[in-house]
Amino acid sequence: MSRTDTAPMADEASRPAPPDASGALGWLRLLGVVVGLELAQRVRSVAWYVLLGVVAIVVGGVITVLFLSLQGYQRDLGGAIFAMTIFLVMLVTSLVTPALSGNAINGDRDGGTLASTQVTQVTASQLVLGKVLGSWIASLGFLAVCTPFMLASAMLGGLRWEAVLVAIPIVVLEIGVISAIGVGLSGLIRRPVLSTVVSYLFVALFSVGTLIGFGVATIAFQTEEERQEISWDYDEQTGNATCVETDRTYTTVVARPDRVWWMLAANPYVILADAIPPHFGGDSYPDDVFGQIGLGVRGLQEPPHVESCADYDPMGGYQGDSPREIYERTVPSWFVGLGIHVALAAAAVWGAIAAVRAPARRLAPGSRIA
Amino acid sequence: MTSGDRAAEPGAPEPIPASAPPVFADPLDGAAGRPPLDADGIVVDEVARSFGSVQAVRQMTFHARPGRVTALIGPNGAGKTTLLLMLASLLAPDAGQIRIAGADPMRDPRAVRRAMGWMPDVLGTWRTLSPRQILTTVGRLHGMPTAAARARADELIVQARLEELARRPSRVLSRGQQQRLGLARALVHRPRVLLLDEPAAGLDPTSRLELRELLRGFAAAGGTVLISSHDLSELDEIAEDAVFVDRGEVVGGERLVLARQAAREWRIRALDPQALSYQLAHIGVAFDRVRIDGDVAHVALDREEDAADVLARLVRAGVPITHFAPAVGDIERTYLSLAGGRR
Repeated sequence: MSRTDTAPMADEASRPAPPDASGALGWLRLLGVVVGLELAQRVRSVAWYVLLGVVAIVVGGVITVLFLSLQGYQRDLGGAIFAMTIFLVMLVTSLVTPALSGNAINGDRDGGTLASTQVTQVTASQLVLGKVLGSWIASLGFLAVCTPFMLASAMLGGLRWEAVLVAIPIVVLEIGVISAIGVGLSGLIRRPVLSTVVSYLFVALFSVGTLIGFGVATIAFQTEEERQEISWDYDEQTGNATCVETDRTYTTVVARPDRVWWMLAANPYVILADAIPPHFGGDSYPDDVFGQIGLGVRGLQEPPHVESCADYDPMGGYQGDSPREIYERTVPSWFVGLGIHVALAAAAVWGAIAAVRAPARRLAPGSRIA
Repeated sequence: MTSGDRAAEPGAPEPIPASAPPVFADPLDGAAGRPPLDADGIVVDEVARSFGSVQAVRQMTFHARPGRVTALIGPNGAGKTTLLLMLASLLAPDAGQIRIAGADPMRDPRAVRRAMGWMPDVLGTWRTLSPRQILTTVGRLHGMPTAAARARADELIVQARLEELARRPSRVLSRGQQQRLGLARALVHRPRVLLLDEPAAGLDPTSRLELRELLRGFAAAGGTVLISSHDLSELDEIAEDAVFVDRGEVVGGERLVLARQAAREWRIRALDPQALSYQLAHIGVAFDRVRIDGDVAHVALDREEDAADVLARLVRAGVPITHFAPAVGDIERTYLSLAGGRR
């Protein structure tokens, strides 16, 4: 042990130059160190590899079974397989990411390692954002292990490139949102178990809660309406039926999804389906799963249809609007939903940054800082 | 490390001898008064901090000077850890001022962190990373370029004698090795102020000796060391100054004076134990001050002058003395009298 090693001011020139706090490059460099630290810990944990393996087996198994059972149909399977893969990846990552991010900050607090980073030149925002990025990148691994299945679906033909180009960025962004919410909550809530559970509740709120809310609200907002009755006059000589609007009215209960459809906008699966531009087949009906879900959700924006004689052609055939017309006159909502997700994630991260800032004035009850 | 090693180092300052009695920080001492805020080292001025209704630190004022090792001593719950957290720029004081190497942790925490190395009592490490990775990462977190951080990490690994474990996950390290790694981590960015909480816990005798040498060298080169520990004999060896804290306050004034005036036990050993006990009575030491414990006599004496007097008389009486020394160190004696005064 040599004396000069520890001498505090032995040689001013050899001391590290004060980092350039104002420079964006210096700021990013420190952020990179935090991300590297997060990733270095994760790639050494067995749990992460086990999860990657499980995800690959589950997704691969489902896709293979699907492929084998759909082979009888004489059509291009690529689009369907790709849609399945993307939805599965979305489901699986939303189930795994909270576990990877939900204890990022309070776990470090409990382990006593948070304070060791707080006493360096790293700022609270670098620390929290670095953890978000680290957890995001780690969770993107689950998307990466599913790439072979996506490549396989591309080789099957029928895959639309615009679907790929929209779907992948949205899945990547959604994984980032869940990572940010998990890390943010782990900064705001003291106990790792609780913050992880609350992160899961947010995932459930988006994916299931929006559906339940929509269903309940549709019933709650149903209205009673008076409708005019139409009847059919059958001409025995010509064999034609003519539509007649009568004076009689009847009362009916009408569900009003058009008043609450926006609740579904925050559903990640709806966001994905709504964002991908549909491709209409010969029957003006979308020919992939994304488009079909998108059409279903778009159709909910329509006010209840009042049946009239105008809906029928002289031959008595129904001539309502085609799916394509409905799709084109309704509004897209995916960016609103995505906006809500990003705003929530930003709020959680902002709260965590405030909670990690040191010197701390206020401490959560029972919390340790070192 | 031997003194020969040290002499071989050109330009290395001589360590301050440990035998010098510690100087006790006394806030009521008229000459010292309140430390100036622009002083170097660690300045703590009327600092208070409470957690809810618990007043962890009521009012602390002291100055840990550069070039010296200052001991922070007090019973459990005296507010030592809270104080160290405030000094480490992790916790904001409710009132009062703190300066670390001239920087205010509330206004400019980055400057404080640049100047300060902190070693907490319960050390958290990234368990899956190796000591080398940990030290490199900490260096980079302090803003060092990667190459410089690596070089510094290698240097500190040699110094902490962790070469064989440098590439193993740090969870395999023993308690003492963890402590050595923690100290290395506090030194990565060559700080000017060291805050240490129980640094010697779990260290083997060799490592303790090295720690002592290291801290003396650090102080001798102009650094400030504040060390909190319950190992009072260890502190007696290292520390030149001492700050006693009790129930959130720095103990000073009359209580400290009284504590230092309290009788102290001296341990006396002679080749002829019978002659020793006989002469002790014969030269006029009151019998209630003497406690014979096998071959060793313990004598409670109020002042150093009395001790010198007793020794001179025993030698004059022809007792073959082999050992004549205080049974406890200065810090330990003061601490125990203070603790005794509380009851």
